Amino acid sequence: MSDNTTLAKTPLFDEHIRLGGKMVPFAGFEMPVQYPLGALKEYQAVRDGKAGLFDISHMGQVRVTGANALPFLQQMTTNDVSKLTVGQVHYSSLLNEQGSFIDDITTYKISDTEYYLCINAANRHKDVAHLQAHTTSFDVIVTDESDDTVLLALQGGEAQKLLQTLTTTDLETIGYYRFSQLKLNGDNAIVSRTGYTGEDGFEIYIPNAASKAIWQKLEDAGAVPIGLAARDMLRTEMGYALYGHEISDSVTPVEAKLMWITKMDKGDFLGRAAVESRKAEGAKLSMIALKLTERGIPREHYKVVADGKEVGEVTSGMHSPLAGCGVAIAYVEPEYAVAGNLAIDIRGKAVAAERTTTPFVRSNVRR
Amino acid sequence: MSIPADLMYSKDHEWVRLDGDTATFGLTDHAQEALGDIVFVEIPEEGRVVAAGDAFAVVESVKAVSDAYAPVPGEVIEGNYELEATPEKVNEDPYGDGWIAKVKVTDGDTSHLMDADAYAKFLEE
Repeated sequence: MSDNTTLAKTPLFDEHIRLGGKMVPFAGFEMPVQYPLGALKEYQAVRDGKAGLFDISHMGQVRVTGANALPFLQQMTTNDVSKLTVGQVHYSSLLNEQGSFIDDITTYKISDTEYYLCINAANRHKDVAHLQAHTTSFDVIVTDESDDTVLLALQGGEAQKLLQTLTTTDLETIGYYRFSQLKLNGDNAIVSRTGYTGEDGFEIYIPNAASKAIWQKLEDAGAVPIGLAARDMLRTEMGYALYGHEISDSVTPVEAKLMWITKMDKGDFLGRAAVESRKAEGAKLSMIALKLTERGIPREHYKVVADGKEVGEVTSGMHSPLAGCGVAIAYVEPEYAVAGNLAIDIRGKAVAAERTTTPFVRSNVRR
Repeated sequence: MSIPADLMYSKDHEWVRLDGDTATFGLTDHAQEALGDIVFVEIPEEGRVVAAGDAFAVVESVKAVSDAYAPVPGEVIEGNYELEATPEKVNEDPYGDGWIAKVKVTDGDTSHLMDADAYAKFLEE
């Protein structure tokens, strides 16, 4: 993003300013990186069972409607949309012909002829153009609703209790990766039990005009506003992929360990042939999770070293307050995904690391 | 914003407390606030010789890695190694328990440093 690009504001911009949010450019938007509480305490509020309130309206929403909505999405996305029931959500992705990622998304089934996609902010226009370019042979309409929609996340142990004060629908009936279309503070909302933190909680889609009142009521009920820095800590600790870091248009689901959302047996889909051949020839790089056994903080682009040479690169890294050590997600040459003593080069010093599994700390999502 | 009157300040937002030929370094209140939550401090080893303006410590916040620069030249005689376990002290008490290192000063010239009033004006600019 060049400096002279005008940054967009979410409908909650004035709330962030009122709260003293430190605004930074992110995916073309001016977003709060943290509030005066600070990133660490914001992170802790979510992990400690409070309810964190996130404005993630920069993310995009696309509605897909029409008699061919299902075959269209089967062709365009990697997960098996035929397995979704009404009221269910799944994690999925869009691939190009080369089998690499255009985006990672979530798909909501509203009815047999209507689906709702949540896409990454930075990829919004690319995704919408890509989807619309492929509608020709399908009876389907792709509508970009991003500009009309506020997306909030309410995450943490108290999320349900707080959100329940704004609706008569019993939120207990919404299971993990399920959603409901309900009235929230009198306005239409889509509420799903999903998130990006590893805690129980919801993602809440509401019209722009309804967002300020809902934000303020959740804040009054005790929700803690959370900025991008804490959001990134929470997702990294869970090992969740972030577009532009773990996944991009240079990796396929084979490298990114996302074959679980790439259903090779569902029939043809865009990118399938390329993924098939990548599987056959083997991944060029393997994604692994590392934790440091010595002091240090791994960060994006730091090199992974072994046997005196560079064997990979960190895509996300942080000091995990809960694990009490540095943790990282990295791509390494496949042989080093399973064997060899690894270290991360931190300012010229090889800091020892060992392979581990994600999440780095216990997940509290409600399964 | 706290700027104690008995310290001197660099344009890189370090403070210096001179006591004879011993200088104590740390980050200013402004610096710690700008960095945000500090989660890691790399303290210089005793015996290390630093020139004025050399990076003598590394301070990492949640989001960023920053160098701390020596305001005056000298040899490190003591590091605040407690910060390795409690880096948040740099945020909580930047002029006290959050001190980073003590050096034996090799050149006592402080003409490039600011007093509290000058540093306060510098921050306003």
